[in-house]
Amino acid sequence: MSGLTEAAKQKIRDLLACYPSKQAVTLPALHIAQEEARCVTREAVREIADILELSPAQIHDTLSFYGFFKDEKHPLGENRIWVCRSLACMLRGGDELLAEVCERLHVSPGQTTKDGKATIELAECLGACDGAPCILVNDKLQLRMTADAVVSLAEGRA
Amino acid sequence: MTFEPVLLRRWGKPNSQSIETYMADGGYTALKKALAMEPPKVIEAVQKSGLRGRGGAGFSTGLKWTFLPKDVQGPIYLCINGDESEPGTFNNRVLLEEDPHQVLEGIVISGYATKSTTAYLYLRYEYGDCYRTCEKAIQEMYAKNLLGKNILGSGYSLDIYLHRGACAYICGEETGLIESLEGKRAWPRIKPPFPAIEGAFRRPTVVNNIETMACVTQILDRGPEWFQSLGIPSENPKDPGSYGPKLYCISGHVNKPGLVELPLGITARELIDKHAGGVWKGRKAKAVVPGGISMGFLSADELDTKLDFAGPGKAGCLGLGTAAVIVIDDQTSMVDVLYNTCRFFAHESCGQCTPCREGTAWSAKILARIRAGQGTLKDLDTLTDISNSIGIMPGTTICGLADGAAWPIKNALKKFRPEFEEYITSGRRSQSLEVAGAH
Amino acid sequence: MSTVFINDIEIEVGPKENLVQAAERAGVEIPHYCWHHDLSVVASCRMCLVEVGEKKPDGTIAMIPKLVPACQTPAKPNTVVITNSEKVKKAQAQTLEFLLLNHPLDCSICDQAGECYLQDYTYKYGKAQSRLNEPKVQRVDKYHIGEQIALFTDRCVMCTRCVRFTREISGTSELHVTNRGSVEEIDVYPGEPCNNKLAGNVVDLCPVGALCSKDFLYKKRVWWLKTQNSVCQGCSTGCSIHVDQEENRLYRIRPRENHLAQGSFMCDEGRFGWKYIESEARLFGPRVGKLQAASQHQTAHVGNGSSSKGNGTAVLHEQAALNELATVDPWPSVLNATRQAIKSVVDSAADRFAVVLSPMMFCEEAFMLAKYIKSINKKITLALGPVPVVGEDDIYPKGPKGEPPAPGKAKFTIRAEKCPNRLGVEAILKHFQGEVINFGTITERLNSKKFDGMYLVGGYPEAWLDASVLSKLDGLSTLIVQDFMNSPLTDMATIVLASATFAERQGTVVNHAGLAQEVQQSIRGATDIRPDGRLLFDLSQRQGMYSAASIRAEMAKEIPAFGAFAGEIGELGIQLFTTVEGKSA
Repeated sequence: MSGLTEAAKQKIRDLLACYPSKQAVTLPALHIAQEEARCVTREAVREIADILELSPAQIHDTLSFYGFFKDEKHPLGENRIWVCRSLACMLRGGDELLAEVCERLHVSPGQTTKDGKATIELAECLGACDGAPCILVNDKLQLRMTADAVVSLAEGRA
Repeated sequence: MTFEPVLLRRWGKPNSQSIETYMADGGYTALKKALAMEPPKVIEAVQKSGLRGRGGAGFSTGLKWTFLPKDVQGPIYLCINGDESEPGTFNNRVLLEEDPHQVLEGIVISGYATKSTTAYLYLRYEYGDCYRTCEKAIQEMYAKNLLGKNILGSGYSLDIYLHRGACAYICGEETGLIESLEGKRAWPRIKPPFPAIEGAFRRPTVVNNIETMACVTQILDRGPEWFQSLGIPSENPKDPGSYGPKLYCISGHVNKPGLVELPLGITARELIDKHAGGVWKGRKAKAVVPGGISMGFLSADELDTKLDFAGPGKAGCLGLGTAAVIVIDDQTSMVDVLYNTCRFFAHESCGQCTPCREGTAWSAKILARIRAGQGTLKDLDTLTDISNSIGIMPGTTICGLADGAAWPIKNALKKFRPEFEEYITSGRRSQSLEVAGAH
Repeated sequence: MSTVFINDIEIEVGPKENLVQAAERAGVEIPHYCWHHDLSVVASCRMCLVEVGEKKPDGTIAMIPKLVPACQTPAKPNTVVITNSEKVKKAQAQTLEFLLLNHPLDCSICDQAGECYLQDYTYKYGKAQSRLNEPKVQRVDKYHIGEQIALFTDRCVMCTRCVRFTREISGTSELHVTNRGSVEEIDVYPGEPCNNKLAGNVVDLCPVGALCSKDFLYKKRVWWLKTQNSVCQGCSTGCSIHVDQEENRLYRIRPRENHLAQGSFMCDEGRFGWKYIESEARLFGPRVGKLQAASQHQTAHVGNGSSSKGNGTAVLHEQAALNELATVDPWPSVLNATRQAIKSVVDSAADRFAVVLSPMMFCEEAFMLAKYIKSINKKITLALGPVPVVGEDDIYPKGPKGEPPAPGKAKFTIRAEKCPNRLGVEAILKHFQGEVINFGTITERLNSKKFDGMYLVGGYPEAWLDASVLSKLDGLSTLIVQDFMNSPLTDMATIVLASATFAERQGTVVNHAGLAQEVQQSIRGATDIRPDGRLLFDLSQRQGMYSAASIRAEMAKEIPAFGAFAGEIGELGIQLFTTVEGKSA
């Protein structure tokens, strides 16, 4: 798989001015990489390491800690839908919502639908407990969800 | 007398996010006031107000600022903790989505008071809308010289950078946040040195919460006396009191989940009944989480506990935490609830300290087995042992995550033990669904 | 210095010491995994928890209510430490139960068994039974983690010593922690194994059986091994080492901590570079007289590193048999022939004989040979053999682009000078010859045919003379070679004195910084080879038995530079000379 585009590399280099250490750009750089390719490729990790003067292992250390970044074998679908399972959502059907969504879309949490339209993730508290059960679609919260609503979002109908 | 919201007063108003709305409402006068004062005087005002950090630990904000070394040469960093991830908590989200300038003004005031040279607003990834509103608000501030070089001609300069997280609860621990900001895995640091002496990038650093920043703005605007006039005064010389307004998050089995601003010290019962429309479906509360799940549980007969900094502790909970109240009705199994909290902490343990890494995972496994109908009464003793042996309170971990993991276990097994025993001896299995998977 | 109290034992401690170190001074063990004195403090394993308090001036003691990690707590004056209370014991047992939850019960096949801190601490501080009722987590082993190291993933206790080593000491940062919480593991980035030149140290640092040396894997249970103190011969750093052997076979070399020498670590060249000891190209006995032409061809082949190793030694054995020396000790007659050969050259023209000492020699050996030679005739030239230098000093920790650290930040240096004792041999040459004549001068004089005979000492693990020098030596009427390895040089020698490797000898080497350290004999060589010390002792017809200590005493009396040899050398060695370089890592 290929690495970062020149535009992405430039974006990363531009961020160096915001921090007193190059390593601090690790997380922003990983976000840039994943937004661009829907995953962080091995080559991208090497390129980020090169720009930040770190070893690929150091980048991967940080990357793997968060469970947020996907490798090139598991790229994200068009949309990434996180279904919250923490207590406030669980009390209002979060577990059932996740189970039904997974069943209807034929995926397990962490997987992408066959048509590549959506990746379903289980989430710990998304910070929208007032609208439980809630989901996160990419980086936008959606409150008071039903399985129908999530499935239509996943299928790109909403 | 009903309390008029202060921190939330622009919530829901048209264009509440824009700098024009904010300034028309008197915004940034607090900053002007502060810039006219000497920085130590600003710290003094905040100390006088009795403001305690809103992030969970409840440490005095002004006092924290005084821990910075005097006459520092070189940068001082102000890190704003917007990694709000404690289950049940969403007040920072509302503040940033609805009224970012109130928070940002507080950041500039705090930066001025602490002579910080750069501020990093660490924002959890999930808050994409907050990120965008803040990004826009910061641009507006630069355009009006409320940020950048020589702010409003005061000679003080500050830049604020937004830094997005990547879904890890531990980044809310202040040194975990610093490590994450530095681009490393968010393993909390051993202390000392405390961040005030050696924090971000090994420089003197202050880490403050979002709601705390909003409070700073209002303290400068309305004066420390106004802040002191709200809440529960100190009960004894050792108690720093519970002053000011607080944003209470209410979720779970209530008719009206949401965010309410009230003076510190409302009881759980009053909060549920008067401000959340009562327990849903006409049921009764079985248990109430007083301040995010790491604080443990109040039982049904502890609902008159005051939700100030001291109250939950008196009822055997860990503390007020984030004042995020989650109501659990009487039809819910505490085994399911405890499994949920244990699974959460097992998922979020950073893995650095042996007792937390192993203890959280083990307790989640034990509860999973109990829920599968394979539990034994001995398991409850093992769980109690685990909960007593992990955390900074017994001294076995670097940070407080394990205390937060331990408290729900301790409280549940103390306050609801018969329910667990009955569950095990009757050979029951969980009715609720769980989907396995990973991310 | 400050006074602290460890379980009521009053003890003086140095500045910057922590409570683990303070307790050690008091003879009290505080168990620990993650802490290592050469790495940053992370205080994460939580094995070293103790009760801590302060003794006030009025004699009262105020204890901190919670447990604290001893590794993270400085030993401040009047600190009171309790390591054996019920509270501490309970925490130790609990931490061990946590660490062992998912640890496999595979001690019977684990290399670490016998020197494993999980075993030892569980025996001393653990509880007999685990309360785990769930299946243990199984993880995939990672044999690919390094050329020399394998990771047995499920034995790991996540102390992160290995990760910190590659970040703080080697600076190469190949190892890292992957994932989070209870599913985290040690790993390398795909395609970037941990192959830095210091990588082997992570095996020693690993307190459990997670990181194992592939070279040693399943070779020997460690409790059978016997250990001798020695010094690495690979470069002029002169790392203190342990040589682990059993039944006269060497199995493993490990660094021996020595703050006067290299510190705690050693490089992989030294750690794994001893295999020449077992080379089939070793000389098995001495020889007098030139090889037959046909045999010479074959053995020369061997020395050139061809694959037909072994033929040479067979030929030599044959030669030995022909000389009728195989059944009796060949050495008295060989040494006699050697003395005669030297005499015959020297008698006609002493200045046409040269003796070349090797920087691989021990001080005692160089001294005996030099003294003997000069006692024959002062006009005999004493010179220094080739000093192997490969590249430049390799200094760690490396920067992100592989660059050396800033001056003063070095934590380990693999030196370019690939011999252990140039300084020691030079000091001896200065005494006996008045100057150090280097090998370049000797080859120039060879070129202008200034010599009729020569006595060359080798001891290098690899062939050490190039063809142009060899061709000049071939014309000499007397060519005595003292060496342990077959080579084109031994092939053309008129007398071969089959000597020994460092593992088979005893003596002293002086490192780059002037630190003299003793190498102890770990194993015996083949029957008909002779350790250089004894060989030279006998050659110079000294009375009695060779002992390095008595030669050192003699040196101390005769050579001012070796005055310090009058005393004991001790395990850490003694500072013999002050060098410009000083004692740096």
